[in-house]
Amino acid sequence: MAHRWGMVVDLDRCTGCEACVTACHAENNIPTAGPQEAARGRAMHWLRVERYWEGDFPDVKVKFRPVLCQQCDNAPCEAVCPTYAAHQTDEGLNAQVYNRCIGTRYCANACMYNVRFFNFFNPQWDKPLHLQLNPDVSVREVGVMEKCTFCVQRIKAGKQTAKAEGRELHDGDIQPACAQSCPSGAIIFGDLNDHESRAARLAHSPRGTKLLEDLGAEPKVTYLQRQPWHESDGQ
Amino acid sequence: MSRTVNNPLADDLVRPLFRTSVWFYGAALALATVVLCGAAAWAYQIWYGIGVAGINWPVYWGFYLTNFVFWIGISHAGTLISAILRLVNARWRRPVTRCAEVITVFALMIGAMFPIIHLGKPWLFFWLAPYPSSREIWPNFRSPLVWDFFAINTYLTGSLLFLLLPMIPDFALVRDRATGWRKHFYGALALGWQGTTKQWHRLEAGMQIMAIAIIPVAVSVHTIVSFDFSMAHVPMWHSTIFGPYFVAGAIFSGIAALIIAMAVLRRMLKLEAYLHPVHFDNLAKLLLLMSLLWGYFVFSERLTVWYGNSPSEMAVFWATQRGQYAPLYWTMVVCNFVLPLVILSFRALRTIGGAVVASLGVLLGMWLERFLIIIPGLAHKELSYSWGSYSPRPPELAIMAATFAAMALLYMLFSKFVPIISIWEMKVGNQPHPPAPDTTEHEDEMAELWRARP
Amino acid sequence: MTALYALYDDPHAVQRAVDGLRAAGLADADIVVMSSEPFEEYEFSHRDSANWLRWIAGFGGVTGLGVAYWLTSYTQQAWPLVTSGMPIVSPWPNLIVIFEMTMLGAILATVVTLLITAKLPSRLPRLYDPEVTNGYILVGVQQPAADLTPTLTAALERAGEGRIRTID
Repeated sequence: MAHRWGMVVDLDRCTGCEACVTACHAENNIPTAGPQEAARGRAMHWLRVERYWEGDFPDVKVKFRPVLCQQCDNAPCEAVCPTYAAHQTDEGLNAQVYNRCIGTRYCANACMYNVRFFNFFNPQWDKPLHLQLNPDVSVREVGVMEKCTFCVQRIKAGKQTAKAEGRELHDGDIQPACAQSCPSGAIIFGDLNDHESRAARLAHSPRGTKLLEDLGAEPKVTYLQRQPWHESDGQ
Repeated sequence: MSRTVNNPLADDLVRPLFRTSVWFYGAALALATVVLCGAAAWAYQIWYGIGVAGINWPVYWGFYLTNFVFWIGISHAGTLISAILRLVNARWRRPVTRCAEVITVFALMIGAMFPIIHLGKPWLFFWLAPYPSSREIWPNFRSPLVWDFFAINTYLTGSLLFLLLPMIPDFALVRDRATGWRKHFYGALALGWQGTTKQWHRLEAGMQIMAIAIIPVAVSVHTIVSFDFSMAHVPMWHSTIFGPYFVAGAIFSGIAALIIAMAVLRRMLKLEAYLHPVHFDNLAKLLLLMSLLWGYFVFSERLTVWYGNSPSEMAVFWATQRGQYAPLYWTMVVCNFVLPLVILSFRALRTIGGAVVASLGVLLGMWLERFLIIIPGLAHKELSYSWGSYSPRPPELAIMAATFAAMALLYMLFSKFVPIISIWEMKVGNQPHPPAPDTTEHEDEMAELWRARP
Repeated sequence: MTALYALYDDPHAVQRAVDGLRAAGLADADIVVMSSEPFEEYEFSHRDSANWLRWIAGFGGVTGLGVAYWLTSYTQQAWPLVTSGMPIVSPWPNLIVIFEMTMLGAILATVVTLLITAKLPSRLPRLYDPEVTNGYILVGVQQPAADLTPTLTAALERAGEGRIRTID
């Protein structure tokens, strides 16, 4: 059976430390915008941790939610791209083909999760930071949309390794950068078609919800809600 | 006494082609400078990257798309006046048709530049065209932007032909009066037109068919432009009313642009004998009608949103009504609804000057309407963490100014090379009517039949 | 090319001239009438009407429809890419492209046919007098038969005040 890559994010375990954001930047050659451009709203965080504050001081509560491309089955971003730069692959990934993108930015407008980012300028890395670039991932030029790919380079590498070693893929062989770097193990990645995998089992958890599920995009990221025992005063 | 010969009509309408004042050169130079500044801004943008504009995350469409929709909207002037009034045989359309059709063609050309200008990689704009490419991939026909490509190109082709075909007899007229380079130039453009009955029949039949064909195309063009927005799940974009709403708004702004263009022409080219106050009065009444229609659409849309009280839509609703966009919103309401209603409802105020003032207000109001449809929705999508804002930067302002200057410049140049009022159509309007059929023979027969017999 | 024609400034005179030429034995197709505006209300204008042009327009529209249908469905199947869960050949969006190309086909067919049948652009020398664009209406005949010329000239003179010219 073909793979169907999905992700589970346990909001109970997420501390909002943003190690996943940093790891994603490093793995995927995401350019930094700099303070001036970030102030203009040009920061590119394929994975961001949304923080919502509830209540007034001193009863303030903060809630974290890492938001990344949900790799929707009915992705609204795909049909609106005039050059087929965004399309669905056989393994359920929402592919972004940088070479086909001419930068109309319609996909970003259609995405209700706002997880698509645009290269407003040609990215630059001051020396010696250019040595840190990941050779497995392309560097995008100006005018191209980009977004989380579920670390498709690691998926491909994992599949090739398993094939070279003459075995099946095991659950946990492929870890996107965010899942690998999360200190509390809040991000779980796996094959939803492999019913034994952690991701597939947790996707059916009674704590599981999907973001903006009622809009019908059929996202493949399941968020596990926090449990009420955290609302007590530590007893 | 003949009325077809030696009237001042042809002389008046051809005079601008042969005589140019200093004012013309000065104005053309000033406008060309503004256009060049805009071109320089665009070159700057291509060189340094589209980041020099004000767009950002999440407001990925800003001034360029606003101007795109605005100019495509203006292009609906010609169709309404020319095609619909031609089909219903309204006589007052005759001096107005070419002025209107010219607006359509130039507004379309200018509007069609913006999808290229706003691209991240504008040098690849031709990938929207369906051609057998070496990459072996075709455009995605499911995308509203590809629909735009087809719709705008069809409308531009149709409008251009609709404008050019009735110009042929006028080119023949100018050819016959001109000497030197003008004779060759207009001779080539006249395509050897003689004016035989066969040619006139072909021309008129062709115009009739094209008038019928161009109306659904025009309606479809702005509907498809509205689909750029309504097909996306952005709050207050995903509305079924957008198709008719945009078309009505387009006709509204188109008539306003036409009134302004006609008023300027009347003054600059001394066409008082041909563009009468009644023409402006009729167009002003149409403008009033469209203003009421616009108000009806806006009310319907906003009442539905307010009544439904969906949180993501209400965020956008309040942002425009009371929040940071409120000054722009209420200016729009005054310009599009209150001002036209006041000026155009009373005959004493519905003068040429009054119509021009109302039209200028409508152009501002309709530009603001496009802005207020695009930006607040994108700035307030479903996830409130990613709300943002937008403000334009100098390249966008320069390019926008350049498009207005380009429109004025193109219009001026057109009126210098082509009679801005269709001479042969005006002549048809002034024709003497044929005599009633001869009935004397028949009357004799009837008299004989009914003669009293002893 | 030889020709015999008269220039009138009154459409009633033109009607009389055309009737006179017909009475002299000329077929309608041989009588040339040229003007700087169409005279739809007059009988002399009623020949050569082009009602069949709408059939051409319809045919062009159908051609455009076929081309668009093929373009959308063939290219969508040539590279079957799933986008937004829509079917590979998506009828509703394709309908929009099909509509536009139908209208484009109708418009282009009309214009091309118009130009061809009106013989525009033309390079060959044809009968013409610049007085036509001054508002005069030309009524005449190309290559008149030599024995018929006096009758035709008389008919033109009887029609009304006009200038009679010949091209030899």
